[in-house]
Amino acid sequence: MAIAATAALLLTPAASFAESRQSLTKEAFAFPAQGQVRVVLFRPDVSVGEQSTGGLDQPNAGWTEQAREQLTAALGKAQAERNIELKLMPELTGDDAKLMSDYRKLFKTVADSVIKHRLFLLDPLPTKQEKFDWTLGEGASRLGALGGGEYGLFFYTMDSYESGSRKLARLLASTISEEQPSEVNMGYAGLVDLKTGDLVWINVDVKMAGDVRTTEGASLRIGELLDGFPVRAGIKATKVKK
Amino acid sequence: MRTLLRSLAAGVALLTCVAGASAMSSGKPEYGPRDETERGLWQQMDEYERELKNSEFLMNDPALNSYVKGVLCKAVGAERCGATRIYIVRTPYYNAMMAPNGMMIVWSGLLLRTRNEAELATVLGHEFAHFEKRHSIQMYNNVKSKTDAMTWLSVLPGGFLAQMSLMGSVMSFNRDMERQADLVALDDLARNGYDPIAASEIWEQLRAEMDSTSEGRRMRKAMDNAGDFFSSHPNSKERMEYLRAAAIGKRSSGQTMGTESYRRAMAPWWPQLINDQIKLNQFGATEFLLASMARGAWTADLLYARGELYRARGKEGDFASAIGFYKQAIAQDALLAESYRGLGVSLIRSGSKDEGKKALKQYLEKRPDADDHGIVSMMATTS
Repeated sequence: MAIAATAALLLTPAASFAESRQSLTKEAFAFPAQGQVRVVLFRPDVSVGEQSTGGLDQPNAGWTEQAREQLTAALGKAQAERNIELKLMPELTGDDAKLMSDYRKLFKTVADSVIKHRLFLLDPLPTKQEKFDWTLGEGASRLGALGGGEYGLFFYTMDSYESGSRKLARLLASTISEEQPSEVNMGYAGLVDLKTGDLVWINVDVKMAGDVRTTEGASLRIGELLDGFPVRAGIKATKVKK
Repeated sequence: MRTLLRSLAAGVALLTCVAGASAMSSGKPEYGPRDETERGLWQQMDEYERELKNSEFLMNDPALNSYVKGVLCKAVGAERCGATRIYIVRTPYYNAMMAPNGMMIVWSGLLLRTRNEAELATVLGHEFAHFEKRHSIQMYNNVKSKTDAMTWLSVLPGGFLAQMSLMGSVMSFNRDMERQADLVALDDLARNGYDPIAASEIWEQLRAEMDSTSEGRRMRKAMDNAGDFFSSHPNSKERMEYLRAAAIGKRSSGQTMGTESYRRAMAPWWPQLINDQIKLNQFGATEFLLASMARGAWTADLLYARGELYRARGKEGDFASAIGFYKQAIAQDALLAESYRGLGVSLIRSGSKDEGKKALKQYLEKRPDADDHGIVSMMATTS
């Protein structure tokens, strides 16, 4: 539901952006060159659906489940290649579940703020243009203890594919008017240092590639989602070409 | 128009609610998702529910939750209510919502407004009927087919008027569902021992409050006017008439309103419910609400509430009015300890210190384990 709000925020002005993807890393951040790096993956917020002719998103339970599994698997693989261990946050109960839920909301709020005020400069904040200093606070270390890792990764994807009739209608409409919304394929990911609570990296893309309903597509999507993801000290970061 | 439609589609698709929605029918209850569309909607609501369970705004008290669930179960029968999960959310507005996966959300403002079990059962039963008749899914499918048609029409020259009429019918489908939920709930209530006349009473009260709120705020009023064509609410007068007419044929001697049991169940929560309402800082609206709840008979809980309202505003003469209300409340129900607290504070604020301290001490005697025992006892003893 929150992702829909973010989608609305991003989709309206998206056309005017030269780049649909924006990512930022906290200044001089890199994982330690040696030793273990464990990233806790919080339950990904994934939604996959299909657009009716009128453009209404119809969520699809099967696609969503499948996409969540395939994205998680592709992410584990991609991190292993970087010599980073991906750990899944276990299903929590009671006060722990509450804590996780609170931090999930806090992360969304902070990420929305970064996206709006810094990445896409919809409403730039004068004091937030130089440094990249956004944090969830030190209390986030409790998530590290629960998940058994030094860093935490949140990611969100939302995909709404066009149905056949939708494509046809849009094709016909394009002959008489230009503005017709179409597919939604967006996502964002953020990495949090669980010792300090600082947001160390964020990547947002409102026009993502990769059909998350397929294995290859999920892998391509993860590649884009991890664009600019921090690397271990001494290694040069690579940028994914659009 | 496209924006309106999209927000309408998004908002309406998944939750049907009292403040803005409505119903269909058939045989034996069967609640699981039936097709791909329903599975998708259920999954989305399951995700929402995962988060809702951890909300700080939930009122988790087991006694309160089992009471509210018990009222629904009595109204619709134990074998049907089992498919639902009720979440009571602390927010001082009235609403109840029902998602297609069986998640029911009750706002605490509703508990403030219903005056007895039969009225609460009316609203819960109405929401349950939306669920059982799959109204939110029908709404979704209906909006989907109408938006589909609109997309095709927008391709054709001159399709605009046809689009407008389709939007009207999206909403009238909604009105039909609302009416059906009303009547199904009324039937359930009457069959299971609640007095069905409660239905017209509570809807009338809620409608009156809504009208007064929109009169109070010009923006709301303007929106209501603009929304006439799209109005999702059955006409108030017509609604009260069919509810009353249907109720008359279904009343019988064994039915109850459940006024006393409701009052007892809400007593521990009453001061909080009132406090949340007063903190909205809408004196006129709260005054109207209390009067419409009183329906001519000011009971102790409402007198206490009115005292709180005047005391909180604290304008010239308000403490004197508040003192009057608290005294009347105490005369009717000496067990409502919070009335003594309000009385004591109001007396002190208006200069009658000794009398005020005496009232505060009475409060402390009646509520030795009160959360605010420390501060009240300080006020009761220092000069």
